[in-house]
Amino acid sequence: MEDVYVIGRGMHPFGRFDKSSEQIGAEAARLALTDAGISWGDVQSAFMARMYLPATSGPRILRNLGGTDISIIDVEAACASGGAALRQAVLAIKAGDVELALVCGTEKMPRGFMDPSMIYSPWQVELGMSQNPAYWSMRAMRHMHEYGTTEQQIAKVAFKNHRNSVHNENAMYRKEFSIDQIMSSPLVCDPIRLLEICSPNDGAAAVVVASGKKMRQLGAHGIRIAGVCHSISRYSSDFRCPADSMSATLENVGPTRVTAERVYEAAGLGVGDIDCFEVQDTDAFCEIEIYEDLGLCPVGEGGPLIDSGEVEIGGRTPVNMSGGLISKGEPVGASHLGQVVELVDQLRGRCGARQVENARVGLAHVLGAGGNCAITILQR
Amino acid sequence: MATTPRRVPIKEGLLAGSLDRLSEVRLCATRCRSCGESTLGTNSNCPNCGGQKVEQVSLANEGTLYTYTVVRHRPPGNYRGPDEFEPFGIGLVEVDGVIRVMAPLKSKIEDLEIGMKVRFHSYPLRTNEAGDEVIAFAYTAGG
Repeated sequence: MEDVYVIGRGMHPFGRFDKSSEQIGAEAARLALTDAGISWGDVQSAFMARMYLPATSGPRILRNLGGTDISIIDVEAACASGGAALRQAVLAIKAGDVELALVCGTEKMPRGFMDPSMIYSPWQVELGMSQNPAYWSMRAMRHMHEYGTTEQQIAKVAFKNHRNSVHNENAMYRKEFSIDQIMSSPLVCDPIRLLEICSPNDGAAAVVVASGKKMRQLGAHGIRIAGVCHSISRYSSDFRCPADSMSATLENVGPTRVTAERVYEAAGLGVGDIDCFEVQDTDAFCEIEIYEDLGLCPVGEGGPLIDSGEVEIGGRTPVNMSGGLISKGEPVGASHLGQVVELVDQLRGRCGARQVENARVGLAHVLGAGGNCAITILQR
Repeated sequence: MATTPRRVPIKEGLLAGSLDRLSEVRLCATRCRSCGESTLGTNSNCPNCGGQKVEQVSLANEGTLYTYTVVRHRPPGNYRGPDEFEPFGIGLVEVDGVIRVMAPLKSKIEDLEIGMKVRFHSYPLRTNEAGDEVIAFAYTAGG
């Protein structure tokens, strides 16, 4: 079947802005169109990833680019919204329905803990079981108990990502912190601390995707989408959130592992073929677990992997060169497409001080509420 | 003459037994007759196999702490804890070897430890708009 390529990318920085979601989203979309060397009138179909914005945000945001009658739909899959939207565009092109599509992710979110009524039952909210970090932390506590993962190893992930962010003009926080500063920042939910956690914020990212034929007609040089998969967690396989009970008898495989297996097969690639990774570091521990689930190391050895330095820029398998969500913040609908923008820039060799030398294949991963997980693999 | 307020569970179908005798109240779970999986509360189908042949069971009082965390900041939204916020534990409590229940922990946070024995406890949380006492649950240290 027809290969699909990213031929343009655009990003509005992630942060907090005195601007509407329409302005932020349209800005990213416009930058992607300019980068692709096309105009809005060339786009045949568009997809808007968002979670917190209201219904029909896609048309409201994109009509700022000019009048159109193409199909524009909103796509929501929690933290994986961007991956689910990208997948819809790829499927539309592979099916021959269109040859060129725009995928945009936009979000504008209030500060602090997310509105619990969106994902928790009223009784869970009343009893205080409604902070997302509490669920991430319970996973961390269990991992520490089973495998001896330490608070210092968790802090090292945050240290690495904050340090990488210094070179990323699209990140919200661009400040390096010492391990001591991270480990003495206030606990949010034990063992996760303030400097080890990402904040909801505002931002947008967009890509123009096209069939190989269309790309050649346009004279563009694209990055191939080797695979893009989305799944939700199997029964009782992930107590990230929300959950009120889990099975004590079944050990179902978690969503990252399931999605990774699916996307490696679709791409015909293994973890060893991938040069760089952008993954869901909503908290620093989460990244350690993802190393294991993507196959970067055996289960239980995520802690030693961060100690080894191999996940740093310059290491064998760099992770979160952009600074990750810990530094960029997490505008939920935009976060995956932001990762894709980083990978496109990495594979084009345009990342300056955070460039992974000779990167040819990159993987972007998101994971969130409902066990929604999406992974995209890009190949130069 | 003063009347005793009516008692209602914090969620319909979550608690088994008469709410007038709190020491006898248990957590309610739904067991699937097809695949055997148990889930918290009263559910009409099984989220594992989709089966609709299910039965209600009440869970044992004793459990083991599988994992936990301490919530250090006031939770968002309609949290009904003390006006002056105090950090508290929540955890996954394994009961009867079949289910792990996500639950508040009413022990001292310094005492919390994976593998510790905990015991189910129901208590009046608040009075609702109708004047009924709302009954909630937690686990406390001790087998």
